[in-house]
Amino acid sequence: MSAVQRIRGGIGADEEYWLAIERGEFRISRCRHCKSWMWPANFRCGKCGSWDIDWEPVEPIGTIYTWTRNHAVSEALAERQADLPYVTLLVELPQAGGARVAGVLEGDETALKIGAQVRGRILPPSDKAKGYGSVVWSIESDAA
Amino acid sequence: MTRSMRGSAAIVGIGQTPYYKRGTSPDAEMKLALRAIVSACDDAGIDPRDVDGFVSYGSEHNTGQKLVPGLGTRELRFGALAWTHGGGIPAAVGIAAAAIHAGQADVVAVYRAMAEGSNQRLRVAVTQNDTPAQFLVNGIDMVMQRSAMRSRRMIEVDGVPAETLETIARVSYYHAQNNSGAVGHGRMLTHEQYAGSRFISEPYHLFDCSRENDGAAALILVSADRARDLKQKPAYVLSVPMGAGADGGSREDNHEPYTSVGMIGLAKRMWAESGYGPADVDVAQIYENFTGMAVQSIIDHGFCTAQTAGDFVTFDNLIAPSGSLPINTSGGNIADGFIHGMGSMVEAVRQIRGTSTNQVPGAKLSMMAGGPGDSMTSTGLFGAFETL
Ligand SMILES: [Zn+2]
Repeated sequence: MSAVQRIRGGIGADEEYWLAIERGEFRISRCRHCKSWMWPANFRCGKCGSWDIDWEPVEPIGTIYTWTRNHAVSEALAERQADLPYVTLLVELPQAGGARVAGVLEGDETALKIGAQVRGRILPPSDKAKGYGSVVWSIESDAA
Repeated sequence: MTRSMRGSAAIVGIGQTPYYKRGTSPDAEMKLALRAIVSACDDAGIDPRDVDGFVSYGSEHNTGQKLVPGLGTRELRFGALAWTHGGGIPAAVGIAAAAIHAGQADVVAVYRAMAEGSNQRLRVAVTQNDTPAQFLVNGIDMVMQRSAMRSRRMIEVDGVPAETLETIARVSYYHAQNNSGAVGHGRMLTHEQYAGSRFISEPYHLFDCSRENDGAAALILVSADRARDLKQKPAYVLSVPMGAGADGGSREDNHEPYTSVGMIGLAKRMWAESGYGPADVDVAQIYENFTGMAVQSIIDHGFCTAQTAGDFVTFDNLIAPSGSLPINTSGGNIADGFIHGMGSMVEAVRQIRGTSTNQVPGAKLSMMAGGPGDSMTSTGLFGAFETL
């Protein structure tokens, strides 16, 4: 188990996701029985009733589903104050059943638009990411 | 026979403290709650000691049991909290009506009180421990940025004109000019001011965002039978569905359809239970944490589609008294004041009574849409006696 104080907002079924990130792996959960991709992670597959969940390695490539450029952040994100303005994304992962993951955009923003292809890079735990490892995304220039 | 509590309960009292600038309330939060409830009881002509049920929503700290000593409650018989945040407002009214319908309580207060001095800032108090790690780790807090991303796709993929966001803000400020208690009173919002204001989270400008206030508001509900004998013209509860669809709930923005704010199924249930449709509504309070979410709420309810939003969501069409659907007639969360949306519920009742500062003449069907985009939300239709 990680020593990081975990954030309590979710249902707490995604611990394996964060542990994988800390190992440098990008994994999304999937029902072992009916093979449905499950995102966000859950304890039970609501589609078939299975309690058996696998964490499958997924290549961190996706498309920008939507985005915003942030010019202000709440107190909860004080660590990001110096980065303003920065762009956050929802990234759609076609190879994982269309799961949408949240992320920060890094690098050139010229080709920023819904549908642009992005590639993720895993970062080690940082204060900025609340002590968690994270995936940051950049636009693939040849695909843009 | 269809089970329904349509028309079985009514809102007979409304009470509200002034909106204080955040952190400047002269009263503690509990005192604000007491003031609003006692004021609503006075309005109804009911002894505060007779309130026997208490319902709120979101992060309300002033629970029913804490209110008992100050109100002199004879017996607390019912208490509940609707889940989620602004999404829980009509739901709280529904819980109150259900309790009355089922004989669990006779006089139920629905209320919300907030004061920074006694509590934490709303933004913190409301969302504390409620934003999943998937967002906080990635520089996204719960409401504003996620709403902005949803509105971005509503505009770029669904084709809803971006100007509709400005329209919501300007309609709210327009209505606030007739409401002397409104935070935005005396300050009309022009196109130039809107367009010139800084971005907060694109596509949201400063004026697309509601502001926090200190204050409290309360409703008193009783059975329809009892309502007839009281002082005020009753606002009957026609339908107040709450919930989330099969592809909704807590899905961390993996819900479908993504740009929906969770009202599509609720609206269908509301029209079915009430027997009315979007074209019948005289006036609507559309909870707007952010303007783009209100636009989508209007679409979800079936007042227009993404394709026709450019024609429907216009300044002329949404202002009282002349528009086909006047909205946020007190100024709404954006320009009246924001005590977690409860002011909009009070305004929905005023429209049925005929006492709004932007009265829609002869309004009989008054709608209040709860917080758009909450993982569970609710909406409500209220009517004058003739609508029963
Ligand atoms: Zn399954």
